[in-house]
Amino acid sequence: MEPAERLDQNHEFSLREFPYIIRWREDRCTRCGRCTAVCPVNAIEPSVFAQRLVQSEGSTPLPSTVRKIMHGIRQVTDMERYCTGCGSCSLVCPTVAIEPEYNPRHKFLFYKNKGGVPYTRGGRRNDPSPSTVDQMKFTRISMLTDPALDAGRHEFHIRTLLGRILPPEKLPLEVKDGLLAVREDIGFIPPVREIYPIRIGSMSVGALSPHMWEGLAMGVAYLNEVEGLPVVMCTGEGGIPPRLLTSRFAKYFILQIASGYFGWDEIIHAIPRMVEDPAAIEIKYGQGAKPGDGGLLMAYKVLKLIAKIRGVPEYVDLASPPTHQTQYSIEEAVAKMIQSMSMAWGFRVPVYPKISGTKTARAVLNNLARNPYAAALCIDGEDGGTGAAYNVSMDKMGHPIASNIRDCYLDLVKQGKQNELPLIAAGGMGKTGSLAANAAAMIMLGASAVDIGKYIMQSAAQCFGDEYNRCNLCNTGRCPRGITTQDPKLYRRLDPDKVAERVVDVFKSADMELKKIFAPMGRSTQLPIGMSDGLGVADKEIAERLKISYVC
Amino acid sequence: MIIHGNIKGKRVSSRELEERVQKAVRDGERTLSIRADGQHGIGGRIWPTGQKVRISVEGPVGQRLGSMGMAGTEIVLKGGASDDAGWINCGARITVLGDVTNGAHNAGAQGILYVQGGGGARCDTMTKANPRFEPLQSWYFRDVGDSFAEFKAGGIAVVCGVNPRNSGNILGYRPCVGMVGGTVYFRGPIQGYSQSDVKCVDLTPQDWDWLCENIKPYLKAIDRMAYLAELTRSIRDWKKLIAYTPAEKKERKGMKMPTTEFRAQVWEPAVGKGGIFGEYLDHDQTILPYITTGENRRFRPVWNNHQYLPPCAYACPSRIPSHRRASLIREGKLQEALELVLQYSPFPASVCGRICPNLCMDACTRGRLDKPLDIKNLGALSLDLPAPGKAGSTGNKVAVIGAGPGGLSAAWQLALKGHSVSLYEASDRLGGKIEWCVPRERLPQKILKKEISRFEEMGVSVHLKTKITRKIFNELYKSHNIVIVACGAQEARTIQFQGSDHVVPGIEFLKQVNYGKPMDLAGKKVVVIGAGNAGMDIACQSYDLGAESVTAVDIQPPASFSKEQEMAKAKGTRILYPKVTEKYDPKKKKIHFKDGTSLNADVVIISIGETPVLDFLPPSVHTERGFIQVNEYGQTSDVKVFAVGDATRPGLVTHAIGQGRLTADAVHAQMMSFDLIPEIKQVIPYERIRTVYYERSLVDEFAPQKEADRCMSCGSCRDCHMCETTCYYGAISRKAMEDGGFEYVVDPKLCVGCGFCAGICPCGVWEMTENLSSTR
Repeated sequence: MEPAERLDQNHEFSLREFPYIIRWREDRCTRCGRCTAVCPVNAIEPSVFAQRLVQSEGSTPLPSTVRKIMHGIRQVTDMERYCTGCGSCSLVCPTVAIEPEYNPRHKFLFYKNKGGVPYTRGGRRNDPSPSTVDQMKFTRISMLTDPALDAGRHEFHIRTLLGRILPPEKLPLEVKDGLLAVREDIGFIPPVREIYPIRIGSMSVGALSPHMWEGLAMGVAYLNEVEGLPVVMCTGEGGIPPRLLTSRFAKYFILQIASGYFGWDEIIHAIPRMVEDPAAIEIKYGQGAKPGDGGLLMAYKVLKLIAKIRGVPEYVDLASPPTHQTQYSIEEAVAKMIQSMSMAWGFRVPVYPKISGTKTARAVLNNLARNPYAAALCIDGEDGGTGAAYNVSMDKMGHPIASNIRDCYLDLVKQGKQNELPLIAAGGMGKTGSLAANAAAMIMLGASAVDIGKYIMQSAAQCFGDEYNRCNLCNTGRCPRGITTQDPKLYRRLDPDKVAERVVDVFKSADMELKKIFAPMGRSTQLPIGMSDGLGVADKEIAERLKISYVC
Repeated sequence: MIIHGNIKGKRVSSRELEERVQKAVRDGERTLSIRADGQHGIGGRIWPTGQKVRISVEGPVGQRLGSMGMAGTEIVLKGGASDDAGWINCGARITVLGDVTNGAHNAGAQGILYVQGGGGARCDTMTKANPRFEPLQSWYFRDVGDSFAEFKAGGIAVVCGVNPRNSGNILGYRPCVGMVGGTVYFRGPIQGYSQSDVKCVDLTPQDWDWLCENIKPYLKAIDRMAYLAELTRSIRDWKKLIAYTPAEKKERKGMKMPTTEFRAQVWEPAVGKGGIFGEYLDHDQTILPYITTGENRRFRPVWNNHQYLPPCAYACPSRIPSHRRASLIREGKLQEALELVLQYSPFPASVCGRICPNLCMDACTRGRLDKPLDIKNLGALSLDLPAPGKAGSTGNKVAVIGAGPGGLSAAWQLALKGHSVSLYEASDRLGGKIEWCVPRERLPQKILKKEISRFEEMGVSVHLKTKITRKIFNELYKSHNIVIVACGAQEARTIQFQGSDHVVPGIEFLKQVNYGKPMDLAGKKVVVIGAGNAGMDIACQSYDLGAESVTAVDIQPPASFSKEQEMAKAKGTRILYPKVTEKYDPKKKKIHFKDGTSLNADVVIISIGETPVLDFLPPSVHTERGFIQVNEYGQTSDVKVFAVGDATRPGLVTHAIGQGRLTADAVHAQMMSFDLIPEIKQVIPYERIRTVYYERSLVDEFAPQKEADRCMSCGSCRDCHMCETTCYYGAISRKAMEDGGFEYVVDPKLCVGCGFCAGICPCGVWEMTENLSSTR
């Protein structure tokens, strides 16, 4: 039998099977090797090519051969080293000689399961079609019928409330000597924070590099302290740097507790040293990108920094189970978690659960509506991102956010509680770049606030990822932008100050865009939560489903 | 002339009043007195006649008094005005002896509005600056309402702040939003203004001059000259709001505070030096570029010369470094090249050149391009070499039992290293199986003799016809430092079946041929049981001895190499399998197989291997299934006893030679008391060799130089300078060493870790490795 290695092309992949094909321009290339030095997955490598030319000069056949050896760049056809299309090569190429090109007819998913291991990755769902929320239009414009507002001229107060809002009759107020006064005899008054309605969603220390995380955190502090925008950020599961927790900036951060409880003993130890209460506590039950799936921080990412903050030894796998182990029923599990977390800060901090988008969200909501300590419900839709998940979880599991939020909101309306329990929408906000429009649409469908994750990675740190499976290396620790890696060689590419600056840019401009949306609709001082008569969509079925107007 | 807005209790419409005013002016009237009754737009649109048109108005006026007023028109309203007085004023002087309400002078472009009282909301908004005309002036004696001067683009507004309605804020709520031009002078307290649009500054002397001069006609017009002294008392009583220029706005558009400054002044003072992670990071926090050098590279190249075996040497059981032989030939050192082989094998011409199946050539990378290097012929070239020089005597004594390939190889190697070797052989000549069993056709006697004689030059003390018994072994054991057992496997393996007594053992058959006493097979039908290499040799020999037909049978696909098979088949040998022998009937000359078939067989020869005769060994030397148990260095369970060759397991001649050399190395290390350094055992992967550099060529004629050039030098640097030339950064250079050698080195300060050297190295010497640093 012929030895296998001699049957060179048998069982080898052709480049056509790969999602990205490297277009290399031999004529422009100087062979400087910057592309190969930077390729995060070694999908390209320097190689040697031979050219053989048979020529015949003169008036009769007089053949001669010319042979030329050339050095150049070759794309490898190893499934483990597939080109992810990140484009780092193009980024560093001084002569525009190399570029990955998307191959729409690739057959990647047929093969990416070597050794029986399904394809896992980070990033986002691979669905480039516009989401429902992206199709929304704001169709109610004040044209002489209502007093029109001017985004530039009028003052806006784009804020939302995070926390349980008591109905007027239950407000702890009374009239005393003709003046409004706060009643003293009421026991528990739910804590409420006035925050900016776009929040930075939960991304953990560990999922993100220290430079990225600090950049976001600094941007948030800047927005609060310099720009006066009360933007809050959720820590994700994985603790919070003690230096931040014990600083005055802690009040801009929502601490997340998830099924792994990482970093929580460190946080509890630090509570007496805290000078400010946190913005809120988020109890994570699920993640839109990988519903019902737990998390795993691979041992190689658990370096000193992560280990210290999470309060674990170095170089061990850190698994978060898909569910909290002490969860027995909605009633019991949510109630006791909310109780416990409220107690930790003396009932001064709003505590709310975050679930992944699901058909059963309304059941959770109805339970929370009856729980006086529940501060909100955050729902993370299918378009959310993640640092690592099975491809199948990301692409095929989950629930779109629009109808999930809408159903919940309308449920609250039925109960007359729509102004009491805030709904927070996450997952795919700003998916195609229209952050403010998406946020406004979700608010008008009934959300009190929206969370962003991928959007801020794109806009603040130029994340390469997109809905065509570009890059999505978050789970490998080899993020070429330095966003989701613990390798200092990579994350030192990212300047936290620049990240912070971009965070500020993003929120300032989103704020302006929100004004541009709300002003013509005549809203300036109150968020148009649930103002669904302002929305229209050119799709009859969506319109019917969401109970908004169909426009065309 | 008096124009009435109410005639006999009936209000005149705005249209009629306007028509009368226009007609009166057309008819030459220049002084009009209007008794208004709420009419819209009174006094505007009097197109210039070259003379002044004076209009005094009494009574309640409607909105837009004097709107679209033109230069030359002077309107005096005796009382307060309604909204939008002076709307798009184009030059009229409008004096309101009372208050104006909302929107006064909105969109005004030229002209003057004198207000004796105060203004309502949104006064002076959207005012213009047309360079063809003098700027608009708006004067308010008391204060103005909210949203004053929004989107103001030109003109001068003066708010005197006398006796204001709102004493704490004379400009109302958020004045000057969107203001891009013009000036607002004011006197008195205010509560903020649009800081993104305008700045609040002191008056310049030029401002003051203008104000002091222009305030006089104003005060006169509104009959408040008494306040002149108070209003012009001090420049410091006044402030002005002016719009930021586009250039200033652009400058201000950026961050209120750079984030680096925020870090230094706000962030780090609160969270600590180095930021929130500062206490955990021990690396430099500076920002790295994508292309880095030195310790920040992700990968770095390593010049792994000779760190891997080439496929030829890896495949060769004797580990003969054919790549180094080729390299020496390329350097013009043919003699050295040929001699090099003698360091590995005493029989290059006999074994490599004749009887070896040349696994090296099967593995040769060149074979993947065209055809492998002709190592067989290169081996044959070493025939006439004398014995190499040997090291000085060490005084160590080694006994070697058996003068077959394994024993000879071990003896040769040990003698080379200066040890005193005694070789014991039961027969009367050296060579073992290569002497007795290999057909002369394959290994001419002349060649073997020549190499045996070279062996004899080595000075090994040879004891022929010495059969080793337990007693002799014990003596050798005591008198020598080490005993090496290389007795081979002499006893033919047989199988028992009916008639098996009549079967000829193959080893005996071959010995008889080589010893000149062959069987007579003329016209006979021969069946060989066992179609291995020896079986094929037997088949060939049978034909040479006149056999009519030879059939080799085997119970499995034949284990013989293709070359041996081809030789036998060429002579007519048939190979049949699977055939399990059931019986042999010597009378009927028929062999029967278990599948019911049979063959005619005058002679049946069995060749299914041999087993060693080990009756002389002491119990301290462990055996298993008839063979001495050894590791790869020939070490047995007795530290003084080593074993090589077929006595340990059946193999090729080259296996025995290789084991002999490795065992000699181990013996040497043991006697000289040093740790044996294990040989490299990694083979370079084929993918690392860039065969594309070489042009396909099917050379027919053998020439050492040509072969050396064809060698791809797998895993060993051919000093071609390709890497040095290719490196874009000049990071690679060739360094000559004192011993005449060389190495290629990388300057980490220049290298970016691109991998070009590794990617293009013809020999696969450069390798990229992760550039681990202490910062992680």
